[in-house]
Amino acid sequence: MAVHHEEPTSTSRKLHFPLDSSAYQILGEIGSGVSAVVYKALCPSVNSAVVAIKSIDLDRSRSDFDAFRRETKTMSLLSHPNILSAHCSFTVDRRLWVVMPFMSAGSIQSVISSSFPNGMSEPCIAVILKETLNALSYLHDQGHLHRDIKASNILMDSDGSVKLADFGVSASVYEPNYLNSNSSSKTSSFRLTDVAGTPYWMAPEVVHSHNGYGCKADIWSLGITALELAHGGPPLSHLPPSKSLLLRITKRFNFSDYETRGGTDKNKSKKFSKSFKDLVGLCLDQDPNKRPSAEKLLKHSFFKNCKGVDFLAKNLLNGLPSVEERFRVLGGVLSKNDEDEDEDDDDDESARARVRNRRISGWNFNEDGLDLHPVFPTESGSDSGGNSVFPTESSSESVGKMVRFSGETIIRLSSESHESFLSSPGRVVEEEGAHLVRGDESGESMESNLSSLVGVDSNAGGVDREAMVSGLTAFMRSLDEQRSNVVTLIGLLRGEEVGEVMLSREEQMGQVIERMRVELENERERNFQLEMELEFLRIQISGAYTTTSAGSID
Amino acid sequence: MKGLFKSKPRTPADVVRQTRDLLIYAQRSPDSRESKREEKMAELCKNIRELKCILYGNSESEPVSEACAQLTQEFFREDTLRLLIMCVPKLNLEARKDATQVVANLQRQQVHSKLIASDYLEANIDIMDVLIQGYGDTDMALHYGAMLRECIRHQSVARYVLESQHMKKFFDYIQLPNFDIAADAAATFKELMTRHKSTVADFLSKNYDWFFAEYNSKLLESSNYITRRQAVKLLGDILLDRSNSAVMTRYVSSRDNLRILMNLLRESSKSIQIEAFHVFKLFAANQNKPADIVGILVANRSKLLRLFADFKIDKEDEQFEADKAQVVREIAALEPKELS
Repeated sequence: MAVHHEEPTSTSRKLHFPLDSSAYQILGEIGSGVSAVVYKALCPSVNSAVVAIKSIDLDRSRSDFDAFRRETKTMSLLSHPNILSAHCSFTVDRRLWVVMPFMSAGSIQSVISSSFPNGMSEPCIAVILKETLNALSYLHDQGHLHRDIKASNILMDSDGSVKLADFGVSASVYEPNYLNSNSSSKTSSFRLTDVAGTPYWMAPEVVHSHNGYGCKADIWSLGITALELAHGGPPLSHLPPSKSLLLRITKRFNFSDYETRGGTDKNKSKKFSKSFKDLVGLCLDQDPNKRPSAEKLLKHSFFKNCKGVDFLAKNLLNGLPSVEERFRVLGGVLSKNDEDEDEDDDDDESARARVRNRRISGWNFNEDGLDLHPVFPTESGSDSGGNSVFPTESSSESVGKMVRFSGETIIRLSSESHESFLSSPGRVVEEEGAHLVRGDESGESMESNLSSLVGVDSNAGGVDREAMVSGLTAFMRSLDEQRSNVVTLIGLLRGEEVGEVMLSREEQMGQVIERMRVELENERERNFQLEMELEFLRIQISGAYTTTSAGSID
Repeated sequence: MKGLFKSKPRTPADVVRQTRDLLIYAQRSPDSRESKREEKMAELCKNIRELKCILYGNSESEPVSEACAQLTQEFFREDTLRLLIMCVPKLNLEARKDATQVVANLQRQQVHSKLIASDYLEANIDIMDVLIQGYGDTDMALHYGAMLRECIRHQSVARYVLESQHMKKFFDYIQLPNFDIAADAAATFKELMTRHKSTVADFLSKNYDWFFAEYNSKLLESSNYITRRQAVKLLGDILLDRSNSAVMTRYVSSRDNLRILMNLLRESSKSIQIEAFHVFKLFAANQNKPADIVGILVANRSKLLRLFADFKIDKEDEQFEADKAQVVREIAALEPKELS
């Protein structure tokens, strides 16, 4: 674990910053979000210190203030060189001011978007990840989860030092019992089975937070952050944010993640070292238990010849516009999109609701290309009964399967949109297996993957063909339905005849046949029931005849 | 921290005993040579960390209930809890946090299905005085506050705090300028006022006058937005609790209280308005409204009805709409008969 810096017990709570808004001189806005603004300010009474003030609109948060209480408490009780702590916090009418050290280089995310839209070099990535891991190791050791690791929450100072910020959704594993048993409060929204964080970076077990999750969810997010640093954005982030999930799916359908950013050539002439890919692969293991701890990751070979933070200052900060300028440039765009990507908070309720809407049901990490392909669930309302064929939660104990099939349909987002249809389900499962089968789609690997899909242990030699076939048929049907839904939506939204492009004639015919088959099946069922009823009535009539209780017949 | 303690197979009771010795040492005035003292303090911190590891487990192992029970028993066999709490100011930040978590955890540990922490605190109830006064010390407030909240899980302890002179201080602690400390005090206050129903009902009926006088003037009429908002929310929680029905009846029969709530209804903050409504509706729904209450409601009838006509919350809430409709009906049907 990180070096323990003993602080002299005599020093009272850091420097004493004034608890009065008039003691600060606001210099400008450097970030804004749904319910918070971040200012750069001067504090003349404390050596004219430059500070960042996060001003949170409390009236916009409906809940009681336990979330804020915990955030400010966390920030005043954590003490680590890689963690941005608060100087103080106080209320200014309806706003909560959190006064923090000013990190002059701003967030890593803003550095990326202004200077490295296609990603940073590996030595820089190594320094940033290492410093972040130091912070995570300390946090986890304290029983805290950050729950929102991403480049926009990693801040940098002019000397290249890196600090992890924003504890808006952080949680302490030492508190939940207490909170949950407290019947009078509604603070349970922060228990660790809740969905918190920012979707692109969210670990699968956080998305499917049925069983709760722990520190390893932060490790996943760190893996996504590594991709973000390497590519210039997390998977899918280049797409403009919008309000509705369905719209987002239709927009993203058929786009590979980095297609538009990297041009048409698939590998963008970017090469990553083996140790970096290995590191990211370890972080993005579907099984949280297999992800290494922060402490362990710090010993990974990727950090072997890691440079110091001055290396960052030299390589990243040259010619970088000031935080204020970057905010002005980005700010306009952000406000137009009504989105908050910069250093801000997500602790507003509407933000949390939005977070929920952007769930991604699973990821396929392709280590070779250093790509991650998300798998989106659909709105539960549009689901069909066809999915019930698939194993439900109870059978998902086998660690390999993280993509849930119950109540969800899988859409494969692939760079090769012309990929043959049948291979998609195989690929979906492919990366999920405990024994990862990468790249090759030989019949055998397909088979074992597919068998795990229908809930048969892939290690057992015998495969129940019938179950598999029925599972596959249902899967295909659900895919078809999904596809037709998407086409309809695109049609509705664009008024174009995209449908023809996406659905081949055969597939359409297949769908019609399938639908008719289902109808026929239903018809048969009804027929059978009617016959049964008739039979029943006959018996009753004959009975009534003898007992003369004719009243029971109508 | 892994591996650090592997070589020393000490029992949990050993760790407690050694911690106790070190605490006693730490309490003594620092007359001995400084270097030795630093060493001992470092060892004390390590021991507290180990206590925490036994109670909570770590990344590699879950806590073992047998070990926890041993630790707890030894801890309360002698006066270790008091020693530890007294020593918190002498510890470094990390050890303070560890100590807080240890104290918190011990409150829930059962030995032979008995919460021995409760018995210990009953016999050493003056420890609570130290913890509550922690809110007056910026450095100690969050640590002592967290410990305090765990201790008042025990009903007898909560009763002591409610009936102590400290209760009055909460009205000030809640409004301390440091948000983190004020919020912590507010959380403790809320816990005191809602956790043990019968104790709270008993307390409120005995202390009604001063308590609500303070509550109204210091909290509901505070100039601080967050104080008002938290106070009106908590007031709703208290009054709507069935065990406090006698207190509620008394509260909604006071014209002063009504005036305060009507002022809160007029606030520009939606959140305060809504919380105020949940208290105001009790005044309106009261079937035995005193004449002066009826008088005020009748005098303000048109204004109130206009207010409620545009009174909406963002999310759809059937219960809220139903309550509102009923309040509107009640007010519309009022006749100022007894005043005429």
